[in-house]
Amino acid sequence: MKPLLKRLWRAFCMMLGNQPALSRYLLPIIQQFSPGFLPGHFRARVSGKYWATADMLQLTFRVSKRWQGFMPGQHILLTLRHNGRYISRPFSICSTLADWQSTRSIALCCKVTSGAEFTPLLNQLQNETVVNISAAQGDFHWQQPALPALFIAAGSGITPIASMLLSQRHWLAPVSLYYRYRGSENAALLVQLKQLASRQHLFTLTLSDSRVEPAADMTNALLPQAKDKQIYLCGPAGFMQQIQQRLTEAGVALCTIHKEQFGPALPAIPCETITGDADESARQTTFIRAGSPHQVAASTQHSLLHAAEQHGLTPSFGCRMGVCFQCVCDKVSGQVRDIRTGALSGNGAEQIQLCISQPVTELVIKL
Amino acid sequence: MKLTIEQFSALEHELDTVKQQVKAQLGEQDARYIRRVLLVQRLSAISGRILLVLGFITPWLWLVGVLLLALGKILDNMEIGHNVLHGQYDWMNDPVLHSKRYEWDIACDAGSWQRTHNFEHHTYTNIIGKDRDFGYGLLRLSNDFRWRVRNLWQGGTYLLLSMLFQWGVSYHELAAQRVFAGKKKADRHSQVSDSALKKAFFSKGARQLIKDYLFFPLIAGPMWLWVLSGNLLANLIRNLWTSTVIFCGHFTKDVHVFTAAQCENESRGQWYYRQMLGSSNFTGPTWLHILTGHLSCQIEHHLFPDIPARHYPAMAKQVQAIAAKYAIPYNTGSFVRQYSTVFGRIMRYSLPGGGKAVKAL
Repeated sequence: MKPLLKRLWRAFCMMLGNQPALSRYLLPIIQQFSPGFLPGHFRARVSGKYWATADMLQLTFRVSKRWQGFMPGQHILLTLRHNGRYISRPFSICSTLADWQSTRSIALCCKVTSGAEFTPLLNQLQNETVVNISAAQGDFHWQQPALPALFIAAGSGITPIASMLLSQRHWLAPVSLYYRYRGSENAALLVQLKQLASRQHLFTLTLSDSRVEPAADMTNALLPQAKDKQIYLCGPAGFMQQIQQRLTEAGVALCTIHKEQFGPALPAIPCETITGDADESARQTTFIRAGSPHQVAASTQHSLLHAAEQHGLTPSFGCRMGVCFQCVCDKVSGQVRDIRTGALSGNGAEQIQLCISQPVTELVIKL
Repeated sequence: MKLTIEQFSALEHELDTVKQQVKAQLGEQDARYIRRVLLVQRLSAISGRILLVLGFITPWLWLVGVLLLALGKILDNMEIGHNVLHGQYDWMNDPVLHSKRYEWDIACDAGSWQRTHNFEHHTYTNIIGKDRDFGYGLLRLSNDFRWRVRNLWQGGTYLLLSMLFQWGVSYHELAAQRVFAGKKKADRHSQVSDSALKKAFFSKGARQLIKDYLFFPLIAGPMWLWVLSGNLLANLIRNLWTSTVIFCGHFTKDVHVFTAAQCENESRGQWYYRQMLGSSNFTGPTWLHILTGHLSCQIEHHLFPDIPARHYPAMAKQVQAIAAKYAIPYNTGSFVRQYSTVFGRIMRYSLPGGGKAVKAL
């Protein structure tokens, strides 16, 4: 019954305003009264901002009452309006459930990269500025708190893990965290985690400073503990790949490893095995945009989103790392590869995310 | 060829520079502008529909309502819809103003429009046999088409087409594909099946008919006839206006027409050249430009279809200077002058003979 009603309502809205929802038709009027209103998003007001480390900015937001909450470890898409355009990136929530329940606020710990498009804007946000956030998403959360667990974090990968650990009220099983950073002055959330370790005897915190300790030392230290534990892993792509490889070599089952990956994906491996001509680094790609085809030589080393933008096309986009699904397009024909995993797509018509797809063969894509 | 290969590539470079300069400065001002137009459009459409019902107080309110609703439809179709569907505002990443998502208040389905207009018309502008917008398969506009008896009354056909313009536009692709009648053309390939075309045509058309002639009259209760006739009139005003503006863009006396053979393997510079010769502008105040969706700067629109249209009047000055430099005719004039040549053309070619419009490239 409900889907039918929904479809009827949608048809009614299409009839009335040629938009799938009345809120979209009325958007320009609604935004006059409530700036920052964006359909499908929630409003969040900046309520605090400080530098947690030299390059990690911690932002606190009071979120709209309609926002449905989160499971510690999940992330949101943060959307800003800058120079006339909406841009968004995913960020893990680093604050606790208790904070949200008592004050309706969440915190994000964002690594600011100077010269990047998005993160430097965060430092320009003033108190009380309204931004948009998505519903909490992702399946990186502490699934079985009753089982012994091993958490491994590196750099800004600590944010979702800190949220999980600091939100935990009832400790049932021993939990250890290996936290790797470059100098303790660059370790975000370290104070809170140390406090937790001192008051919760089931929780052990092991720190590893990459300035003094080689990566292999930490891996060797944690490997003996990894057996029969739930493993939660978050950090830079290279770090995660290494750890996962060592873990699986040591006989840890893949299904016990939970991970979250942000940040630039690894450059993908050239695809000589598929077409046999490895040195040819571009593929003829036809983007059909607004009805007309555009021929682009898309590099096999970059994403299709990059190729389309280089060519002056402007497909919709969001996080640019495969999280938000705003750049999903219809692929008519051809094969692409997932930058993150190296997985190959089929040859036929299907939907792909432009930001994490590289051309493998000639392509036809509807933007 | 009037220009040399070197001149064509120099022309290409100069026009590309004009485009890049504008593209580099797109930002907050453009976003604010189009959002304000969208706000005015919504307010005029909504207030227009309310005033239609208030006609029982005084018919003058009804009349203002008709004009406001017509304004809403014209803004939606021209300055917003046409331009958004060209992808002019895709860079904003906006939930509403994106070429992939926008749907407009007209009988024509947005996807069908993008295929016939954005692709066919803008790529093959004024190429006989390839650009069906040259005469819409209904009007004989040059001696490159054989005269038929039905051309005798094409003045009347033109008037009818103008009055029902939104339906002409919406049926355009189905006519080209011979979906309902006629023999399929072997050289036409479509991205979509006939059944998909039919479905889009009927569902979009039905939505528009239900809205204007069933839903709003019904909820107006005793004022239903006022609302129904008001909607009919507003649609008529929009149809006449859009058709008039569009006819002034390509059918004025001095526009050039081309053959498919002339345009084979053309460079981008040559494509630019053809767009300049195949289009015509008309002059007027800012409000007129906005009401035409800046199609009053048809030449600039054809050169730079995905640049936000509010920049066209400023770009026109640069383009006109470039045209003068290469001795390329730049077809512009007052609205009245341009339209009278369009009307003259329709009348002249309703009779046999007349000059060929195809010019040597």
